[in-house]
Amino acid sequence: MNIKIFSIPLFLTIFSIVVIYLSLQLETSPEMIVGDSMQARSFPIFLMVINLILTAILAFQFTRVYPKEVELEKFPTWSSMLLFLIFYILVSVSGDMFVAIPVVMFLLGITWGQKKIWISLSNAIITPLFIFFLFDYVLQVRFPRGWLTNIYYG
Amino acid sequence: MIEALSALGSVFVDPYLLGLIFATTILGVIIGVLPGLGATTGAALLLPFTLTMEPVQAIAVLSTIYVSATFAGSITAILINTPGTSAAAATTFDGYPLAQKGEAGRALGVAVVSSTIGGVFSVIVLCIAAPLLARVAYEFRPPEYFALTIFGLSMLASISAGGAVKNLIGGVFGVWLSTIGAERVTAIERFMFGNYDLYEGLSFVPVFIGLFAISELLVQSKMVNKVVNAVSLKAVKLPTKDDYKRIWKTIVRSSGIGTFIGILPAEGATVASMIGYSEAKRWSKNKEEFGKGSIEGIAGAEAANNSATGGAMVPTMVLGIPGSGTTAIILVGLMVHGLRPGAYLFTEQVEKVYQIFGSMLLANFMFMAMGLYAAKLFARVSLIPISILWPIVFALSVIGAYALSQSLVDVWIALIFGVIGFFARRHGFAVAPIAVGLILGEMVETNLQHSLKMFDGQWWMIFAQPLALFFLILAFLGLCGPYLFSLITRQKN
Repeated sequence: MNIKIFSIPLFLTIFSIVVIYLSLQLETSPEMIVGDSMQARSFPIFLMVINLILTAILAFQFTRVYPKEVELEKFPTWSSMLLFLIFYILVSVSGDMFVAIPVVMFLLGITWGQKKIWISLSNAIITPLFIFFLFDYVLQVRFPRGWLTNIYYG
Repeated sequence: MIEALSALGSVFVDPYLLGLIFATTILGVIIGVLPGLGATTGAALLLPFTLTMEPVQAIAVLSTIYVSATFAGSITAILINTPGTSAAAATTFDGYPLAQKGEAGRALGVAVVSSTIGGVFSVIVLCIAAPLLARVAYEFRPPEYFALTIFGLSMLASISAGGAVKNLIGGVFGVWLSTIGAERVTAIERFMFGNYDLYEGLSFVPVFIGLFAISELLVQSKMVNKVVNAVSLKAVKLPTKDDYKRIWKTIVRSSGIGTFIGILPAEGATVASMIGYSEAKRWSKNKEEFGKGSIEGIAGAEAANNSATGGAMVPTMVLGIPGSGTTAIILVGLMVHGLRPGAYLFTEQVEKVYQIFGSMLLANFMFMAMGLYAAKLFARVSLIPISILWPIVFALSVIGAYALSQSLVDVWIALIFGVIGFFARRHGFAVAPIAVGLILGEMVETNLQHSLKMFDGQWWMIFAQPLALFFLILAFLGLCGPYLFSLITRQKN
């Protein structure tokens, strides 16, 4: 039997045990507050016990019907996730979502196979601009101040 | 009753609402024809745009997206063999073969008419059934609500994507997510790890944007090199008299099936269309045509999936239990705009409720007009390269996640849940159960706490309440029924 098939049940089991452990670390409330109800830790523990039971059933099902082999992700998927990280770093450094969004949009377009750079570039510039003014004027959403928004907000 | 009818009718004479629904229907159809986007992702992306609207307008926008995108999935299902939404998957079985025979216009005509009839039928049922159910729900106390939410969660087992056990695990995970933040009675901080942005719990909007929109972006990244084979379309044709003779019974049957399935908590348009299709085949005199371009097959699937939209709004609005990912977002929309779903909505906000129903009715007629006269144009939209479309979705997602609370933490939450949702889907777990679990989580815990207080900590007293027991038995049968049935059949054989 291929042990790999148990990777998901194993992950779920570890997750449930960790949550139970963390729940047990939660404070308990005095009887006069909780009364006949339950402690804050009880419900998550109850949920994770159910999760463990369901995970056991899932593991049993996997022994009877093998789960489909999951293909490894290709470049566009991993690069997209990496771009999320780049987005986080850019926002943290510049403090400005409107610096990070065009950069990520442009790179996303390129990594997803857009060969004409000007198309990706125009998309990365026009769309955030349009969304920014839509949210600013119509929905009156104020965005975090950063390199670019500081120029606009003054 | 007169008040309700006049509220329903007022939608048709309110120029602003008419214009809004018209514009949203166009947007909904565009969203529906874009493979991967669909009603749920579309509603998640549009939710932040509704924040400054009046409650009725906001929910009208979301429900119009739901109705029109569900229909529009059939356009690409017929023309390029790619269902725009999962609910249109059954339409490909006969829609594309008929289109390949050079009858794409006829296939679309049948889909448009069936969808409209199904949609209108379900809104009528919604108008009648919702207030009746609300009257029953008026009597519900915490034990009944607790049992009802358990029933709702148990129904997750039969959501279309994923397996029963995987969906239940997703549901439990969603309920657990609802425990993050300060506990409501004792204010004890749970799973916050010192982050006080999570004190009030996870906001639904960024989580939903992550689960539905960003995870879909990652899923679509696998389809970068997919080649689309489109068939030509001259014009959409209304069904002929002979066509109507063949399909009217199927439309009526599927409308009933779809509405009923929609009403069941956690069942949605996808399940409805599959059952509508298989029932159309079962009752047809021309079974051999199915799979080769049968108009009955198209009518069966389309009437069922669109009628499920109205049906799914019944538990959403009356009980606060969403029937699908999209209704979960509509439910969040209701909450964000101060419309607490439940029986009281039907006594205190009747006018608003019927205006929402009226806008759904109107949306059905509008997408019919668009389906008949602009399907060719909309079909072209589906050919937008994904390298242009999905960066736009990314921008809308992060800004949408930020907009509600104007907090960057919500943006990170959306991205994290996008990745979680992607890996869940990668391993066969649907994300809708997580969303439904997150919404129902608070209801489950709060009603359990109240029930325990009511019965002095004697939890077994919940089973002594007839209505609560009824829902719990239904939940048990829903979970174990199929296994017990197969066990009994096996033993008999």
